[in-house]
Amino acid sequence: MCMSTHRHSLHCILPPYILSKIAENGSPALRAMAMHSLMIDPTIRIVRASTAGPVTGDLARRRSAAGNLLVPSPLRTIRDAGGEPEAPGSVVVRREGEGPTGDIAVDEAYEGLGATFALFWEAYQRNSIDDAGLPLDATVHYDQDYDNAFWDGTQMVFGDGDGELFNRFTIALDVIGHELTHGVTEKEAGLAYFNQSGALNESISDVFGSLVKQKLLGQTADQADWLIGAGLLTSAVKGVALRSMKEPGTAYDDPVLGKDPQPGHMDDFVRTNQDNGGVHINSGIPNRAFYLAAMTIDGNAWDRAGRIWYNALLDPNTRANTDFAGFARVTIDVAGRLHGTDSAETTAVAEAWTTVGVI
Amino acid sequence: MQMGKACDETVTGEARVRIEGGLAHFPALAKEQAISFGDLATPDRQELTSLADQADFFGCEPSTDIARPDARTYTVGLTIDGRSREMRLAEPIRDPAMAKLVSVVRRLSKQHPPTR
Repeated sequence: MCMSTHRHSLHCILPPYILSKIAENGSPALRAMAMHSLMIDPTIRIVRASTAGPVTGDLARRRSAAGNLLVPSPLRTIRDAGGEPEAPGSVVVRREGEGPTGDIAVDEAYEGLGATFALFWEAYQRNSIDDAGLPLDATVHYDQDYDNAFWDGTQMVFGDGDGELFNRFTIALDVIGHELTHGVTEKEAGLAYFNQSGALNESISDVFGSLVKQKLLGQTADQADWLIGAGLLTSAVKGVALRSMKEPGTAYDDPVLGKDPQPGHMDDFVRTNQDNGGVHINSGIPNRAFYLAAMTIDGNAWDRAGRIWYNALLDPNTRANTDFAGFARVTIDVAGRLHGTDSAETTAVAEAWTTVGVI
Repeated sequence: MQMGKACDETVTGEARVRIEGGLAHFPALAKEQAISFGDLATPDRQELTSLADQADFFGCEPSTDIARPDARTYTVGLTIDGRSREMRLAEPIRDPAMAKLVSVVRRLSKQHPPTR
């Protein structure tokens, strides 16, 4: 056979599965040649690359299309800042696959990152923030009396809250989903964080943050509370959450925090220099548009309504400076492509944007 | 000199902080807080002075970092023994001494709300 007469013939003619058998069971010389051929065979290199590290988005999609679905891992790492204003925290407290630690902030962050990863993978076949298996890192117990959570471009950072107004920021799953979605938006449309594009950026984080929670709880659109940050405010605060997608402007009305300033219609659009031009204020308008569309479309909001918003975020026509009306047009176009221009879904999306006064 | 200044109980001054951004906008929280060194306990006053020295607050280059989504921007002002400066700093603040200084100013201003 050719193996005895040609030094590199193994590479020429034998399929990889036979090479693998030879590498396992052949004589030392044959095993060495088989191993050499396996190493330089490009198809084997692809297999090696895909099994040695994170499965990338494109490869994952090809496997999915071929019916060979390898579910990627979120690759989570949770660090503890120990009350210091440092991120990443100095101590790694939980890695991917490790069991609960008993520290509720650590474990909530771990589970929240996992639930967010699951929504994007299972509903939209997106492999992590960058769709290429980016490891998900988080730091908890950041600073002291720290009332915030944010995405710093490489990791999630969570404060413990002050205990007076705010509980720990890992308590709300949708907040974790919200923050990670900022990473997705940064990688895709790159919506500028100012004025309408910034409010749209915020709204998209609220949409997918809420969908993370709804999917984990198995709630249909009409079963969901459509609140962002439920549980985050202490019992001393007159309020139920940070925001309401269903009824913007009603989440809190408190002597210390003030009144929820979110509008739900373009007639009440707030022009301000605060809050990067009102990114957390005017996001109430596209938030309510998504809520209305999801309720009309019915069923699980992450399925059809979520898919339309996700595809719109990835659409080339959604750019850094896209405003509410521009994004509305993209969602309507996407709905038409996915479901038909005269479909109930497309009609629901268009009516939602009309109801909030955007188009 | 720096440690001597930090331990000097006669040091006078004021710290101010305004916080913008964050996960949500709370209208009533978006205003400047100011604390006089005269209202602070000696250890707090010493810590502020020491951290201002460690961070080179009065001599460092202005920060050009822009806050990422939901990260906060702090406008911190310090007046210590006649020297005065105001800086805008976006999270995450990478310099550990500056991050600690901002953290302490933030917490002290919350513990000592305006009386008016």
